[in-house]
Amino acid sequence: MEFINPDVVDLSRFQFALTALYHFMFVPLTLGLTFMLAAMETVYVVTGRQIYKDMAQFWGKLFGINFAIGVATGITMEFEFGTNWSMYSHFFGDMFGTPLAIEGLMAFFMESTFVGLMFFGWDRLSKQAHLAITYLVALGSNLSALWILIANAGMNMPEGAHFDPETMRMQFESFVNLVFNPDAQAKFVHTSVAGYVSAAMFVMGISAFYLLRGQHRQFAARSFRMAALFGIISTVAVITLGDVLGRLDYEKQPTKIAAIEGLWHTSNPPFEPWIVAALPDDARQENHYEIGVPLVLTPLITHTFDQPITGMHELEEAAGPRIRSGIDAVAALRRYGVTHSSTDLAQFTAHEQDMGYGLLATRHAPGQDVTAIPADQIDDVVRATQPDILPNVFVTFWSFRLMVFLSLWFFALFAISAYLSLKRRLERSRLLLKLCMWSIPLPILATEFGWITAEAGRQPWTVFGWLPTFLSASSHGVSYMVFSLIGFVLLYSVFIAAELYLMFKFARLGPEHDSMEPHAPATPQASAFDMRPMAS
Amino acid sequence: MTKLLRLAGLAIVLVVSLLFAVFVGDQGPWYFAWVIGTVMIILISGAGAIMLDAQSGLSADGEI
Repeated sequence: MEFINPDVVDLSRFQFALTALYHFMFVPLTLGLTFMLAAMETVYVVTGRQIYKDMAQFWGKLFGINFAIGVATGITMEFEFGTNWSMYSHFFGDMFGTPLAIEGLMAFFMESTFVGLMFFGWDRLSKQAHLAITYLVALGSNLSALWILIANAGMNMPEGAHFDPETMRMQFESFVNLVFNPDAQAKFVHTSVAGYVSAAMFVMGISAFYLLRGQHRQFAARSFRMAALFGIISTVAVITLGDVLGRLDYEKQPTKIAAIEGLWHTSNPPFEPWIVAALPDDARQENHYEIGVPLVLTPLITHTFDQPITGMHELEEAAGPRIRSGIDAVAALRRYGVTHSSTDLAQFTAHEQDMGYGLLATRHAPGQDVTAIPADQIDDVVRATQPDILPNVFVTFWSFRLMVFLSLWFFALFAISAYLSLKRRLERSRLLLKLCMWSIPLPILATEFGWITAEAGRQPWTVFGWLPTFLSASSHGVSYMVFSLIGFVLLYSVFIAAELYLMFKFARLGPEHDSMEPHAPATPQASAFDMRPMAS
Repeated sequence: MTKLLRLAGLAIVLVVSLLFAVFVGDQGPWYFAWVIGTVMIILISGAGAIMLDAQSGLSADGEI
């Protein structure tokens, strides 16, 4: 009897991707705005100028809208692991559940507790105490991201766990290895700081809107400058950490890096071009219409001029012996489950590291049972399984490029904005202000492309090298999956619509208190440089 | 007495920070970089705003 329903697996994947991408429309703003609020409030506490309190309160209100709606979208994802990915949860739950539980108990509770004090404590707490609360909210939201990304890093580069043939699951063995997983470190900083970029663009874009309309000019000028400086440093950090992640993928996830670069054959250092654009053809395993820049790829990925990058054809060839060995591992494990003999355990242990590749062959085995493959058909099954080790190259290649092109755009925009703000020439540059305004959604889009690169590039695994995605899903019916998928789409679309409506409404209204422009709105000329003494 | 307690508190913060720097700097260099980098980003953006206050105080044309 065949137990894998590819439609259910695809629908489960689609549903998780959809809920994750919806959720991540809210997350970057939360991660970044909290620290921007902390920066504004720090200036308020240090200088005593009322305008910085006005700024912290206004941007805090927009943060509050985003936070309230964003939290709701995140909770459902944790339940999906149990409902739609029960096999994955059984196999990897010991490892995955730990950081998720810590996230809920430590970071989320911390963030949610202090966020109330942050909103309602302005008149009840001292300036210093309120500032400390704002920092704790920022720390809590980013620690929340940290634990989620530690869990995600475990899926991409499983460290701190081993497979136990008695329990048939990954057993947690080292908390230190889990927390200090190199992928978790780089991914956390990359993601967190990408949130800073999103928040900086959000503040800069809305401030540009006020400057274009000549409203709240002093408020907008300060918000714009803080955001431009916040954004330019953050963008440099995001690009740096992106490079670190690329290097890690080169070492630990060669199929992902080869797909990202559209590299079908092993590179020829140092001349191999970096492909700027192409149409990767997954079916024919080649690229069409390639445009490349020579001499860039090798130093970019390997940080040397002489190390080759293994191509997808060569990775497929290299996977052949691992699939064969993995089939032996699965067969020995099956026998050990019945006999519990040391001979079977020794045979399994000898092939244990390839077990995932054996499981990958399940789809091509007769009756989806790799232990039932006749000896004369093993070569055919191995050959049929080899292409399965590759992710979808077109999706991985283009999601990565769109993310990179957008990050270069942010770098240019923040750099020019910071320069013109420092030179006090912003209002002359109306085109730049318009570009800032229209770029508000782009960092969020870039983070979505980043997630697609990371997660589509991890395929065909949920736990890289150990558990194939098609074996991770629950055994639901197609109708159940379609019904719940439609429900999520409708519900989350309502959330997005509510967020956009409230954000537009309150951003257009502007700051409730503007100590330097109490009788706004005004024309640029009428309100030009109102420099009355600022209240402390 | 208050000053003494404040000094003691700051000394404890200093020791914890040093231990954090030594341990995390060794085991998790990117985590350490995140802490230092975030503080730096906040300080630089804050300094930019304070600089704007100073620029505004010196200028009369009101251009932003």
